[in-house]
Amino acid sequence: MTIQKRSRRYSIGLVIDWFFFVFAGLAAVWLAYLSLTETFHVGWWGVAFALAFWVLLAYLVLPRLHRILTTIYVPDYFIGRARTSDGLLGDPVNLAFLGGADQIHTAMTEAKWTKAEPVTLGSSWRIVTSTLTRRSYDEAPVSPLFLFGRQQDFAYQQEVDGNPAQRHHVRFWKCPDGWLLPGGSRVDWLAAGTFDTSVGLSLFTLQITHRIDADTDIERDHILQTLTAADPRITIEVLKDFSTGYHARNGGGDSIRTDGDLPIADVRLVAAVTR
Amino acid sequence: MTTAPDKRPAFEPPAQLLKPTGYDPDMKRPASTVAGVMLVLLRVIAGVVWIGSIALEWERYVREIDATYEDVVSTPQIAETTLLVAVIAIGVSLVIDAVLAFFVLGGHNWARVIIMAIAAISITASFLQWWDDGLEITIGTTLLTLGLDILILLALSSRSAAAYARRKERR
Repeated sequence: MTIQKRSRRYSIGLVIDWFFFVFAGLAAVWLAYLSLTETFHVGWWGVAFALAFWVLLAYLVLPRLHRILTTIYVPDYFIGRARTSDGLLGDPVNLAFLGGADQIHTAMTEAKWTKAEPVTLGSSWRIVTSTLTRRSYDEAPVSPLFLFGRQQDFAYQQEVDGNPAQRHHVRFWKCPDGWLLPGGSRVDWLAAGTFDTSVGLSLFTLQITHRIDADTDIERDHILQTLTAADPRITIEVLKDFSTGYHARNGGGDSIRTDGDLPIADVRLVAAVTR
Repeated sequence: MTTAPDKRPAFEPPAQLLKPTGYDPDMKRPASTVAGVMLVLLRVIAGVVWIGSIALEWERYVREIDATYEDVVSTPQIAETTLLVAVIAIGVSLVIDAVLAFFVLGGHNWARVIIMAIAAISITASFLQWWDDGLEITIGTTLLTLGLDILILLALSSRSAAAYARRKERR
């Protein structure tokens, strides 16, 4: 049965979807061009058209072009990097965990980390209001990043002095069953921890995003330090020089530096509290 | 593993781009579907306003049509009938548009495909006129309606909207 289903990879419906997906991307390029040329014809209204051009380009045109091109060109197997929803390379995977989801939840909560809410209309609105009123929102959602073709299973964060622009955060992905790290080690979870330093315009995607601290090792070691300080039963084993890239850029164009080590945190001795 | 896996090609298959998300009848309606439907309704409202503006100055429009086709056999009666037929045709298409939008909101794939096809045809027509005949597309002419068409197509062709429309398909 499964083999027969596999053979029907290119259905008519899929071809139609594909056509409209690419067609819409091209049409959006044209629309961006039209609104750009219009900018120079309408005097002061040109400012509005320039703004419309930027929104179109940064949030509709480039993401769709990235989506189409990265799907084809970026390898879809594990290369130690998470990917953004547009398919660009995102934060580096710099942590691994052994243990169950409940044990990780317990360990992170005891280490004073807060679970991030999923991105919904309500939580997005709360980000806007908390930013405007400068009120703290420590369960603020984190943007989706993808590993194994899936969005993170959950994410944890720590606020910095009630400043919504800065925060520690780490995303977790469950590894597929029977999956081995390059080199053959077996881990249950992979995680990517980075520190948001400020909110700014990314010159890479032209979108407004969080900039991350280039030295991702500091954040990685901070996560491990808080975990082991809260529960001494958590043990760390380090895979030396695991990383394939010691300096790179993430999906927002921020540079990344690392010593290339991948620590594996063993939380299997933590008593799971089912919540 | 009983058989050796196929070698990976140097590039990923483009079909990956819209990999069917599978059977998920309880999927929540994504923002892209709602945005697409809102834009279609905006187009319908714009059309209704346009019909209203014609109805208010009915006499003037009739005279204009009559004057335009002076050389051909044209009487005020023929001009009026022409305008009436045109307005009714547009009105019917607006109703169809609104009904399709309603079905898209309910997550019917055929309605989504029809709306996308209409948008694609209208965009292609504008593009050809712009490219070949140098038709001016500015804010005073058709930039807004063209922009609406393109945004509708972008929203409804997005992966989340496609996944929602195909959430009941078993593969």
